[in-house]
Amino acid sequence: MSTRLGTRASGFATCTVLLVALIAPVGAQVPYERLLKAESEPQNWMTYAGSYKSHRYSALDQINRKNVSGLKLAWAYQIQRAGIIETSPLVVDGVMYMSEPPSTVTALDVRSGRPLWSYSPNIPPDVIVIGSPPVNRGVAVLDDMVFVGTVHGHLIALDSKSGTVRWDVTVGDNKQGYYLTLAPLALDGKVVVGVSGAETGIRGFIDAYEAKTGKLAWRTYTIPAPGEPGFETWGKGNGWQTGGGSTWLTGSFDPDLNLLYWATGNPAPDWNADNRPGDNLYTDAVLALDPSGGKIKWHFQFTPEDVHDWDSNETMVLFEAQIGGRERKLLAQANRNGFYYVLDRATGEFLAGVPYAKQTWADGLDPKGRPIRKKGIAPSLDGTLVFPNIQGASNWFSPSYSPQTKLFYQAAREMGTIYYKGAAVYKPGTAFTGGGGRYVNGDDASGAIRALDAATGKMKWEFPLLSPGWTSLLSTAGGLVFGGSEEGNFFALDAETGKPLWDTQIGGAVRGIPMSYAVDGKQYVAIAAGFTLFVFAL
Amino acid sequence: MVFLVAAVIPAAASAQSVTDLADGKKLFSGLCVTCHGFEGTGGAGPPLNRPRLLSAPDDASLRNIIAEGIPSRGMPRVRRVTDDEMRQLVAYVRSIGKSARAPVRGDASRGGQLYGKLGCSNCHIINGVGGSLGPELSNIGWIRGPDYLRQAVLEPAARLPQGNLAVPARGYNEYLPVTVVLRDGAEVRGIRLNEDVFTIQIRDTTGKLHSVRKNDAALIRKETTSSVMPSYAGRLAAAEIDDLVAYLSRLGGAL
Repeated sequence: MSTRLGTRASGFATCTVLLVALIAPVGAQVPYERLLKAESEPQNWMTYAGSYKSHRYSALDQINRKNVSGLKLAWAYQIQRAGIIETSPLVVDGVMYMSEPPSTVTALDVRSGRPLWSYSPNIPPDVIVIGSPPVNRGVAVLDDMVFVGTVHGHLIALDSKSGTVRWDVTVGDNKQGYYLTLAPLALDGKVVVGVSGAETGIRGFIDAYEAKTGKLAWRTYTIPAPGEPGFETWGKGNGWQTGGGSTWLTGSFDPDLNLLYWATGNPAPDWNADNRPGDNLYTDAVLALDPSGGKIKWHFQFTPEDVHDWDSNETMVLFEAQIGGRERKLLAQANRNGFYYVLDRATGEFLAGVPYAKQTWADGLDPKGRPIRKKGIAPSLDGTLVFPNIQGASNWFSPSYSPQTKLFYQAAREMGTIYYKGAAVYKPGTAFTGGGGRYVNGDDASGAIRALDAATGKMKWEFPLLSPGWTSLLSTAGGLVFGGSEEGNFFALDAETGKPLWDTQIGGAVRGIPMSYAVDGKQYVAIAAGFTLFVFAL
Repeated sequence: MVFLVAAVIPAAASAQSVTDLADGKKLFSGLCVTCHGFEGTGGAGPPLNRPRLLSAPDDASLRNIIAEGIPSRGMPRVRRVTDDEMRQLVAYVRSIGKSARAPVRGDASRGGQLYGKLGCSNCHIINGVGGSLGPELSNIGWIRGPDYLRQAVLEPAARLPQGNLAVPARGYNEYLPVTVVLRDGAEVRGIRLNEDVFTIQIRDTTGKLHSVRKNDAALIRKETTSSVMPSYAGRLAAAEIDDLVAYLSRLGGAL
């Protein structure tokens, strides 16, 4: 990077990049203080969702409404092994850290796209990945390390300059079905991860590791043990031991309240609640945790006694708005069950909840936010048609929140599933799901990108998609929302109106998570589709 | 969470006390019947009640197709079955092939003449000859059963084909009639070849390809309940229908 110092500098972002370059060697030096103030470095993208508030918003505005029609491919990078790319790259001081399926990390030069190093863990051929494809959604950086969770259940710290392994710990026993796909979240000296595996009947947990050593700092189970509050919501049997409650997506963090928000997935078995009568705390919930010890400060459950596999792990956006005449610190999530929720993030109080996609299972939410279930919506031997579908109205893919527009942008899946109930027998490391579903797809399904008033969930505009998508969204200070489609479209919408301003066909389903960065005074937008990462610029 | 699970295993699990075939049938009923029909008589997917299967001549290839799917034909991967369950499934599918099939009524050679007389080849290709507005029929005897073919002749709009083609994608109607009126007033009518959020590709009745930016269209009408193929109900005698179905059922050397 220092060789670039003689080149022309233009714009604030470039100056910042060069100043950082002067004090930092090649390879990230990212103290916690930089992560805390990530928003002040819009040229970088240092956490999974761009900041602890999970806005997936870029303050860069070089690419904007007026000129986005001139966006062109700057470079592309093809992954080393075929697989689905569901990652959000990070960019720190001229280096991109991108994960590749199943658990590879590659550092790329952000100017040219040329790899600087790559690391692949030794994944055993009999690795157990039940519940999702073997993907990876991104890495975390802290100080001079890069952290990656793996499909064989490990958390690995790499040297950010070389990709050399600093430490490698087992988070969950893969033989029992534990695996990791999420981007870890780096806090002050700690790295927080969750696990996948509810489809094999794991007992979910959230772990924090000491960043320097890999030593376990704390573990908080998402299913209470006998004697703990919430245990009574599992009936009298042993259902809690195999109760699921995975923690497979990156949480959000409020340093002022000192609360870490981590959401949980479905109870196991997915579609058969016979062995788990009750609300099944803390599945399909958000937990507010003390990041120093992992203690649960409050919880809010979205879908009690879930029988549709509606994990609530979706990204939680932290923002502030006036509600009832006063400024509130809020947490919003577009849940897989079809409802958009707004909570007070200091207390967990339910403030608003409205459908943002077609749903046929509830007559709304009660004043506490608990769903008012319709009759006859449970999976059955003959099949029960319910909206949203088995993969939800939303899922792992990221929403975006723009502080400019105060809108929450979400891709919604309009699709039903015929849900079946089946038998479930627990055997470690095998499917423990108790049924399944058949999609109502093709021309009978559709999707949309919806802009919701973040404080109320009221829809301001929508942009229709041909099919239910898996697209994450990025909003920018240029007044744009970037998104994609299953058919390979990548496009920019006007953040105020939803009007399409630019689109291109990139030849593969858009499953990557868009982000933006700048280097040498030039803004880039990155998106992965098919087996390739594409980076666009003016 | 569950992702890309296209099928169900109701009541499958682990009972080993009954015979493999009964267990295999149970698995088949959960996983396969929607497309392959009860007893494997076919539906939107190929019939399996024949001694030899076009894409799965032996057990190893059958096992591979079940495990890996056929992405270009909409056949999903069947995951989350144990080795035992896979063995039971293969055994059951093979047993269907050995069971007696109802004979196909009609005279195939008369059906062939009828096919020529009706001008079916204007829209369908058999062994390289014909038009491409409708499904290719060279191997249709392998990939669709007589009941499906009869319905296609009598009520072509009752169920548009699915799963023949790699595009548009799994679950989408194939040969979907579409009318596009462009902003300059020009009208295009044909079948949808593919579509994305911003564009649609259409083959018109003369065989010409149109690629349209949706932004350039004043109207796009998709006719999910109609077909460009005319119905032959009432136009052919019952015996003629039998003959035509017999002809189609033998295409590709399937019977």
